[in-house]
Amino acid sequence: MTAVRIRRAAFALILLAALYGVAAWIGQGRLPDRVWMGAHYVENVQLLPTFPSLFEEAGFLLESGILPASAAVSLLRVLAGLLLGSTVGILVGLATGRASRAESLADPWVSALRFTPALALLPLFVAWFGYGEISKVLLIASGVAVVTLLGAHQGVRSVPRVYLEAAASLGARGAFAFRKIVLPLAFPAIFASLRVAIALAWVTIVVAELIDARMPSLGYLLALSGAYPRVPTMLVSIGTVGLLVLVSDLLALLLHARATRWMGRAA
Amino acid sequence: MTAPLLQAAGVGYSYPGPTPTKALDNLDLDVEEGEFLALLGPVGCGKTTLLRIFAGFLEPTEGTVRCGGEIIQGPGPRLGYVLQEQSIFPWMSVRDNLEFGLVARGVDAAERHEISDELLRLIGLEAFEAAWPKDLSAGMSKMVEVARVLATDPAILLLDEPFGALDAQTRARMQDALTRLWEQRRKTVVFVTHDADEALYVADRIAVLSHRPGRVKTTVAVDLPRPRSFETRFLARFVALKRMLWEGMDSATQGV
Amino acid sequence: MRRDTRHRMLLRAVSVAALAAAYMLVAWRVSRPDVVPPAGHLVEAFADLVGRGYQLPSAPGEEHHHHHHSSDQVETLVRGGVTLQASLAISAARVAFGLLVGLPLGILIGFFMGWSRRADDYLHPIFVLVRSVPPLALITYVMLWLGHSEAHRLIPIVYAVATTAVIPAYHGVRDVASKYVIAARALGARGRLLYLRVLLPAAAPAVLGGLRYSLAIAWMTAVGAEMLMAENGMGNLLVGGGMWASRTQTASDPAVIIVGILALAGAGWAMDALARATTARLTRWVRA
Repeated sequence: MTAVRIRRAAFALILLAALYGVAAWIGQGRLPDRVWMGAHYVENVQLLPTFPSLFEEAGFLLESGILPASAAVSLLRVLAGLLLGSTVGILVGLATGRASRAESLADPWVSALRFTPALALLPLFVAWFGYGEISKVLLIASGVAVVTLLGAHQGVRSVPRVYLEAAASLGARGAFAFRKIVLPLAFPAIFASLRVAIALAWVTIVVAELIDARMPSLGYLLALSGAYPRVPTMLVSIGTVGLLVLVSDLLALLLHARATRWMGRAA
Repeated sequence: MTAPLLQAAGVGYSYPGPTPTKALDNLDLDVEEGEFLALLGPVGCGKTTLLRIFAGFLEPTEGTVRCGGEIIQGPGPRLGYVLQEQSIFPWMSVRDNLEFGLVARGVDAAERHEISDELLRLIGLEAFEAAWPKDLSAGMSKMVEVARVLATDPAILLLDEPFGALDAQTRARMQDALTRLWEQRRKTVVFVTHDADEALYVADRIAVLSHRPGRVKTTVAVDLPRPRSFETRFLARFVALKRMLWEGMDSATQGV
Repeated sequence: MRRDTRHRMLLRAVSVAALAAAYMLVAWRVSRPDVVPPAGHLVEAFADLVGRGYQLPSAPGEEHHHHHHSSDQVETLVRGGVTLQASLAISAARVAFGLLVGLPLGILIGFFMGWSRRADDYLHPIFVLVRSVPPLALITYVMLWLGHSEAHRLIPIVYAVATTAVIPAYHGVRDVASKYVIAARALGARGRLLYLRVLLPAAAPAVLGGLRYSLAIAWMTAVGAEMLMAENGMGNLLVGGGMWASRTQTASDPAVIIVGILALAGAGWAMDALARATTARLTRWVRA
């Protein structure tokens, strides 16, 4: 990251913040301040909260512990779902990549799951497991599993034959060759799919929590702030989700870079 | 005595960034009209950078570059540049590739067809006029790229290691094809390579570049008979020149 | 047919048959049709949703014996005139709209960022921020501005599609097309010729590659938006029909859900196949 690029990035972000601030300030007296909530009007709604009111709200939410608690719950669900889903997905994906028989067996199910939006499974899981942690974590896990499965499968499949041939002529075959050669080469594809899986996990959890809203979770906070409505809370919650997504994505990127250091620019 | 077609005077180039690296430093070079000049140098000595400056894609941070007396402002059909990477347009047929520069100029279809016919004959690919680039070999693609640039009748041909990615036999064939082409059309050519044999085979004159920051270390006039042929590579003179070049390059690599 | 292709098809068929058998076994053992509906229920639910989606005029007590297998949910839906095909069509329409508006938007932004280093330096950080916000998280906020309207449901879909379309376009221009652009400029190409005959085809494979992913995201977002805030479409069907408020009062029927999921999977597969075919056709010239 050169100095020029950092400068320009900072400029763009500051400009964005400034534009929002100006819009909020202009909107103070001019934007409608009552909202139709389907059955009645609600007064005193700030459609574009000013920065001071946002900071105040954020401060309140942090101090009272509401935001950290909600964020923690959502984060834990995401992590649980990621762990479960990626383990299953990667293992199955490696198997299908390696053995075409396994691939044929798994194919109908993977294809079916691929084209089902993960969210569509939520009502099913709720019907089977009731509202609660299991259905949510399972939902995230299914979406993650599909994505990582495809990534692992691709990763194994795309290993250039030359490496396997070189290994074979050095006496390495079967499971040993798989561990030492195929796996490292499949890493980049697996990591790439993990990044996608992380984004998917967050998207899924937000909606799942919006639909089945119970304290405490970020989705619930969002839903609650939508019901009143309390815009500063809403924006702070949205911002928190965005921040968590950003941080997880950056972490994944960092891990990817470290794990594929040896690849040079090819990764 | 006409003025040199291409003149580089005191050219320097630094890459922008936190720690500027000088790719070229105080480089002087003149290319006469109708001459076939080879730029020879080790990897990383700035040959591609210099060629890009000649082609108008980069501006020298120091010094000036002129073509036909005028400072080079930007890329264009006067400066026929063929990249090192494969850049034949894969979504167009061979003929469409050849005619592309003419389309850019607004030449009408009939004339374009005539010119592309001639070029196809020149490079011996008449049978492939409607083929997709994906069906061509690497050598054939490269010839199409060279012919494509010739279509616009440039004042100067700038070729960046065009045969670098080819195997030895194809490379030899391509070198032949290029020299024959040149001997017919007598364009001014600046040809970048890191292979001394190749430089000797194709060029009239060889400018040896030092390693980074690049400048012209020495110039060698290639007085081998034209037209060049299979025998040329085995002449005593060829070997003697080659020795001179290797010694010149050797000191260049050591930064002497 | 070659031996291993036949072999593969056999394995696939075996796999499907095995799971279908396992499902029926579970359904029989568990013996709770309201949780794991047996195959018969599934077929019935399907028939109901496809065929009988019309307004039932008579009183509740009377048609019970017509629908003695169906659940409350199916009844609610049927009574509301909801059919599977209509819901699917509505969802597909929302997806199509999202693609129609979101794809050009995302692609143009990606092209711009890939073409100009300056634009990239300024816009990329903003894009990273914007992309981090899940589209459906915005839906409650957008509702405050636009009320309960079609626009407020469509905006997250457009947003989701646009954000996924940027990166493939960006890479297509920056990494793939750049060398062709240089060659073209050296041949004297400028303006329209450069953009339409060189940049676009060169970047096309990368852009089209991202299309399938945008499609999947569009479906996800559409279904999600419908689950939360619509009174029609597949998402709505899956959570029991009716408006948000009344949803919790209707016991949901897994048969409907499973039928709905299968229908969605089918629609998703069809659109994906279409995307794949279109991509193949448009990029016939690509080197293998």
